[in-house]
Amino acid sequence: MADREDVGALQSLLISRSLTDLELLEASNSAPDYAILPDASVVKIGGQSLIDRGRAAVYPIVEELVEAKREHPLMIGTGAGTRARHLYALAAELGLPTGVLTDIGSAVAGQNAAILGHLMARHGVPVVGGTGFGAIALYLDQCGAAIFGGMPPYDMWQHLPAEGVIPPYRTDAGCWLVAEVYGCRSMIFVKDEDGLHTANPKTDPDATIIESITVDELIAMDLPDLIIERPLLELMRHARHATTVQVVNGLKPGLLTRALAGEHVGTIISAA
Amino acid sequence: MTDPDSLFASKDVPSALMRQTLLDRDRVRPQTPQPVSRLLPWLNVVTIGGRSIMDRGRDAILPLVDELRDALTDHKMLIATGAGIRARHVFGVALDLGLPTGVLASLASTEAEQNGHMIAALLAEQGVSYLPHTSVGHQLAGHLAASPAAVSNGFPPYELFEFPPEVGKIPPHRTDTGAFLIADAYGAAQTIYVKDVDGVYTQDPATAAEGEAELLPRVGAGELLDMNLATLPIDRLVLELMRNAKHVKEIQVVNGLVRGNVTKALAGEHVGTLIQAQ
Repeated sequence: MADREDVGALQSLLISRSLTDLELLEASNSAPDYAILPDASVVKIGGQSLIDRGRAAVYPIVEELVEAKREHPLMIGTGAGTRARHLYALAAELGLPTGVLTDIGSAVAGQNAAILGHLMARHGVPVVGGTGFGAIALYLDQCGAAIFGGMPPYDMWQHLPAEGVIPPYRTDAGCWLVAEVYGCRSMIFVKDEDGLHTANPKTDPDATIIESITVDELIAMDLPDLIIERPLLELMRHARHATTVQVVNGLKPGLLTRALAGEHVGTIISAA
Repeated sequence: MTDPDSLFASKDVPSALMRQTLLDRDRVRPQTPQPVSRLLPWLNVVTIGGRSIMDRGRDAILPLVDELRDALTDHKMLIATGAGIRARHVFGVALDLGLPTGVLASLASTEAEQNGHMIAALLAEQGVSYLPHTSVGHQLAGHLAASPAAVSNGFPPYELFEFPPEVGKIPPHRTDTGAFLIADAYGAAQTIYVKDVDGVYTQDPATAAEGEAELLPRVGAGELLDMNLATLPIDRLVLELMRNAKHVKEIQVVNGLVRGNVTKALAGEHVGTLIQAQ
């Protein structure tokens, strides 16, 4: 915990200085970090990688999630997938801005959350969104899990990409930010590959798996393609809670369960 | 069980981006990039500072509201309000309790919202109302067809999804950034920041020795970042984001304590500091 002197200094800077003041920003580092839901885990279920594959991929992962929630409180975020790609391509062609793409992409992640929600309804798992996060503790306590659409709620206020109009912060970032703000014990990305590779293994046969890596190393490698959103790496550098994430293959039964138990079964990316 | 791969093709919607990770820089680059449209090319986004204007109370706010009221006849405006001293207080409480940046962002956003409700109430007679984020994001066109202006919360709707900042725990996306992002998304004609200083100075005019602080009438966003000033009248993140701006290539910081400045800035006059994207 920060000592009282630090806290006093911070309070006085907060009242007297501009929020752009570097001394104030440094001083806010002295504040302690309280984890809101330290026992919960965030699991992101990929859109294109899992849900778009339908029953063959989704039923087994639902079974695994239902079993896992007995032991681990789960916040299950969903990706968007192929319909979002169609929307992005169409909207870009129409000259629409990133904010509009964010909004319509978000709806697709929401559909996928609704789909998972219907499949998990008999196990008492609700779908939450927006203000529903206010009751997340109750859902986790009573139902063991809750599902949310993974897109962050940036809508028309999304950051602008350097090139083109595709929203830079999408469902990987959205799910990770949930893990970070709630101080969750783990963040697991469930995709359709064994982990992060040196190139996209779907298009490059020479791609090899990277079992563990730091974000700085990964940024330095400047890979042409990635299994998680690039801007998430930059966010992870400043993580206070969600300092590691694991990418696992959801098409291989059991890996998600083992990752939740703390085993290294895919690629672990760590902040430092 | 069916092999998932055999089903893959039938589960795709054909599009230029089909099956992409959306992360491959070369593949995601559009073949024929389309210019981004300005959705509301006549829009003016006017940001009213929290600490710089709102916290000063009646003496600062009422003359400014009078100016805005007069401007309603000639300009369509989205008026975005900042948070101010109550946000500082709630930051202090929440930081002491160890709460994360996302919680701080949600709490501070409420303060900017309350300031917005007050400005909207003062202009209600002229048909101006406060719009929540969802209306600003989806129904602004309709509201501005019915009324010359609307008031909104300057904070962007990041809240629990706020980024952990590079340094410390203060939320980086605040009023200035929210106003910039919404202005760019709608392709606004002008983005004006109403503060309590004449513009951007080489030093903080509130603390610098007499005559030391020099006003910059015009400065590049990147140049201003490189100057690494200890404080700025506008959030640094706006300067960083201007690099990727599609439409908002210039913003103006004006002194709202000087009567007539906002009116002149809305008319396109240079009365404060113009910050330009390079």
